[in-house]
Amino acid sequence: MSTAIDQQIVTFQEQFNRVKAEVSKVIVGYNDIIDGVIMSLLASGHVLLEGVPGLGKTKLVSTLSDVMHLKFSRVQFTPDLMPADITGTNVVQEDALGEKFLEFQPGPIFSNIVLADEVNRATPKTQSALLEAMEERSVTVGKTTHKLDSPFFVLATQNPLEMEGTYPLPEAQLDRFFMKLKVDYPTVDSLHTILNRTTKIHEPKVDRVLGQGEVLEMRKTVRAVPIARPIQDYAIRITLATHPKPPYAQALTMKYVRYGSSPRGAQALVIGGKIRALLNNRLHVSCEDIRSVAYAALRHRVLLNFEGEAERVDTDAIIKGILEGTPEPN
Amino acid sequence: MVSVPDLNVRKEKEPFDSMSDQEIIIAALRRVERRIRTNRLLHELTFGFSLFIAIPVLLKVWDLFKPLRGVTVSLIVGTWVLLFAIYVVWRSIQKGTLDAAASSVDKNANLQDELKTAYWFINNPRRTDWVGAQIHRAATNAQRLNVDALYPRSIPKTSYIAAAMALLFVILNFVPLPWNHNWLTLQAAPAFALSDKEAAILKQTEELLRKAEKLKQPALEQKLEAIAQQLQEGKIDALQAEQMLDELQNELQEGNLDAASINEGLEEIANELEQSQKLEPTANAMQDNQLNLAADELRKLAEKLGMNTPEESKQMQKSLQQAAENTRPGLEELTKLLKEAAENLKKEQQQAAQEALDGAAQELEGLEQKIESQQLKNMASQQLQTLKDSIQQRQASSKPGQRGQQQQASSKGQNAQGQKPQPGQPENTQGQSGESDTEGEPTDQAGDQGQPGPPMPGAGDGSGLMPSGKGGGEAPREGAPTQLDVKLQQEKVEGMNDGGEKPENLEESSKQERSRLDYRNVKSDLSPAQKDLLNQDRIPWEYRPLIKNYFQAIRPPAKK
Repeated sequence: MSTAIDQQIVTFQEQFNRVKAEVSKVIVGYNDIIDGVIMSLLASGHVLLEGVPGLGKTKLVSTLSDVMHLKFSRVQFTPDLMPADITGTNVVQEDALGEKFLEFQPGPIFSNIVLADEVNRATPKTQSALLEAMEERSVTVGKTTHKLDSPFFVLATQNPLEMEGTYPLPEAQLDRFFMKLKVDYPTVDSLHTILNRTTKIHEPKVDRVLGQGEVLEMRKTVRAVPIARPIQDYAIRITLATHPKPPYAQALTMKYVRYGSSPRGAQALVIGGKIRALLNNRLHVSCEDIRSVAYAALRHRVLLNFEGEAERVDTDAIIKGILEGTPEPN
Repeated sequence: MVSVPDLNVRKEKEPFDSMSDQEIIIAALRRVERRIRTNRLLHELTFGFSLFIAIPVLLKVWDLFKPLRGVTVSLIVGTWVLLFAIYVVWRSIQKGTLDAAASSVDKNANLQDELKTAYWFINNPRRTDWVGAQIHRAATNAQRLNVDALYPRSIPKTSYIAAAMALLFVILNFVPLPWNHNWLTLQAAPAFALSDKEAAILKQTEELLRKAEKLKQPALEQKLEAIAQQLQEGKIDALQAEQMLDELQNELQEGNLDAASINEGLEEIANELEQSQKLEPTANAMQDNQLNLAADELRKLAEKLGMNTPEESKQMQKSLQQAAENTRPGLEELTKLLKEAAENLKKEQQQAAQEALDGAAQELEGLEQKIESQQLKNMASQQLQTLKDSIQQRQASSKPGQRGQQQQASSKGQNAQGQKPQPGQPENTQGQSGESDTEGEPTDQAGDQGQPGPPMPGAGDGSGLMPSGKGGGEAPREGAPTQLDVKLQQEKVEGMNDGGEKPENLEESSKQERSRLDYRNVKSDLSPAQKDLLNQDRIPWEYRPLIKNYFQAIRPPAKK
C-alpha cells in the first residue's frame, strides 16, 4: 500500500518536473511563476498573471500549452470583444434538404487551456462570460448548456500600468482565480539567458510531455493528500485573519482591509499546500506549505479600504503581517 | 523521505519491532515529552531559584547594614521557602501534552509537522491508504529520532546564576563583621542588645546581688542572669526587658527596711544610752552607725556587769529603760531586749541582765547585717534603674514617635524629684537623704556628676539607704544624653487679661482686611451730574481708566 502511494508521488513529481523543465527551456527566471501556473492547473484552478508587457506572460502560457497534449486557445481581450466571441454562438445552418437550423459554434473557451490575454481590457459583460465559464465549467447559449472539457484551465493576464480604457476585474470575479501571480522584471542573469536563447537562429523547442489523462490523474493525487485538523485550522486562521473583524483580525488588517478572503482562499491554501507537500515528497501538509502558497492564494482576495488604497498599501505586506502574526498550532 | 539530520538519528535500535506504527509514534512522543518536561523543569526551577535566592541575598545585604531580628528573618525566610515550594510543586505537576511534544519534535528535527499530523490521525482515525502511509512514514522517522541529540540534557545558564547567588548568600553569612549574624547557624540579631556600658551596669548589679546573698534571696541574682541571657539571645525585646527589670526591682524592694526610721530610732536609742557613762561607748558607736562595734561594747559591758557600782547600774538601768521606750518600727526586738536588761538590772538579776544585753548585742549585729544588705539591694536597684533608663532612652531615640512619650513620662517621674513621687517611691531621694545625713557627700557627688556610685558598704548613709524607696535619688546617667526638664516660666504680657498665664482665644477677625467702606463714599472731585453719568452708563471696568484719562486730558487747564 505504502509502496504504491510512494510510486504515485514519485510519478507526480516526475511529471511535474518534466513539465517545468520543458517550460523552463523557453521561459527563463520565473521558476516560481512556472510552479504557480502548473500548481493552479493541478489544483483545478485558474491563474491571473499580472505584469508589465513584454515579460513573457503570454509566452509562458503558450509554452505550457505546447508542453501538454491539451487543446489551447487564446483570446485577446479588447473593449469590443463580445461574450459570444468567447463562448461561441448558435449559427443558422442548412441541412441537405435545405432546411435551416441553429447549430452551436463553440467559441475559444471550449479548450483545455485558455489564454485570456489582457483580460481587463474587455467590458465587464464579456469578462463575466469568461468568469462564469471558469466557475461553472459550462457555457449556456440560448437554452442549451454546453459542458466544457476537462481539464479546463484559464490563464488570464493583465497589465497593472495602463489603467486607461480598462475595466478592472471586480472582486467577486477576482476571487475565482486560484492564484494571482505577479510577474516581475527578470534579473540580469535571466536576461542574458533570454537573449542567448531568443536571438539565435534556432529557438528552443519544447516537447509534449503531459497528456489530458495524466493531468487528471495528477489532480486526483493532489486531492488524496491528507491534511490534519491542526494544519487545516492554521489555514483557516490565516484566511480569517485577512478580515478586518475580530477575533482573528490584526492591526494592519483592521487599518487597511475592507473585505478579506472568501472560503475559496482557504481552499486555495489547502490545495496549494497539498501540491507543495507532494513536490516535497511528503504525505501530509505542513504549515510551511500553507505559508508558501499564502501570497499567491490570498493577495487578490484581500480588498483594501480607502485608507489602504490612498497609502498604496501592498496586499503582500498585509499577508506577510498576517503570516507573522498567526501562530502555528501546537 | 524527509531527511533527518545525522545528529538526531538514534545510534542503537530499541525494540520497536513488535510495536505498531501508532505505538511507535506514541512511545516516541512520550519519550520526547518526558525529556522536554525534565529540561523545562530544570530551566524553570533554576531560573525560579535564581530569582528566589535574590530575595534572601538582598535581605542579607540589608541585614549587614541594619541587622534583622530572628523573628523577622524566620518569617521572611519561611515565607520564601513556602513560596518556592509552591512554585516547585506548581511547575512539577504541569505536564506537557503529546500534541505539544509532536510540535516540538517536528520543529527540532525539521519534520515539517509530520509527527503532529500522524498523532492527529492516530487520535482521529481515517481509513485511507494515504493516512496509513503517512503514519507509517512518521513511525519510521520517529524510530530514528535521537532524543538525546534533539533535547540534550544541558545545564541551564540560570543554574550558574543560582549557584553564584547561593554562594554569595553563604559568603555574606560568613562575613567577619561583629554585627553580622550567620543565618546558616540559626543566628540573628537579638531583639535588643545591651551596649557595653549597659552590660557593665548589669555585671555590677549581678555582683551586688551576689554579695547580697546573705539576704537569702539568691533567686534575684538568678533572675537577673536569666534576663541578661535572654537579652543576649534575642529572646526578649526592649519592652519585655524593661518589664522584667521592673519586676526584679519590685522584688528587690519587697521587705525593704524602713531604714530611715531605724536610723533615727537607733540615734534616739543612742542618745538615751549616752546618759549612762557605762553605755556611752556603745551609744557613740551607734551614733557612728557602727553597730558591730556597738554590739562589742555592749558585750564587754555585759561581761563586766558585776563590777559596776550600784549607782552606775542604776544609771544604766535608767538609760536602758528610757531607750527601751523607743517604738520605732524594726527596733521592737532590740527595745524588748533592752527593756529586759533594764528590768533585770532593776531586780539585780545580773545573769539575766547579762543575757539580755548579749541578746541586744546580737540584735544590733543583725541590724547591721540587715542594713548592709539593704544598702546592697538599693545599689542594685539603682543600677537596674540606670539600665532601664538607658534602654528607654535608646528605644526613644529609635522610635521617637512612640517611645519618646513613654520616655518623657518615665523621666518625668524620676527627674522631677520632690514634685511627684512615684507610687512606692519615697519623696526622700538620694540627694535628700544625703543632705539629711551627716555623711552624705559621696552619694551627692555621685548624683551630681552622673557617675554610677560604686558599692561602698559602710561608707556612710549618703550611699543611698532609702526608706522603702527605689534606691533613692537620681540614678547615675552615665553615657545617656542629658535631658533638660525645664519648665519655662511664662512672662506676663501687657494687655493680656491674665498676663499670659492662660491661653486666650480671640474669636474676632483680624483688623488687617479689605476695607468695607463703600468706594462711593470716598470724596470725589466730580460733579453730581458727572457722577450720575458715570453710574448710569454701563462702562466696562477695563475702559474706565481710559475714559477717565480722556476726560482729564481734555479738561481745560486750571487757572493759575
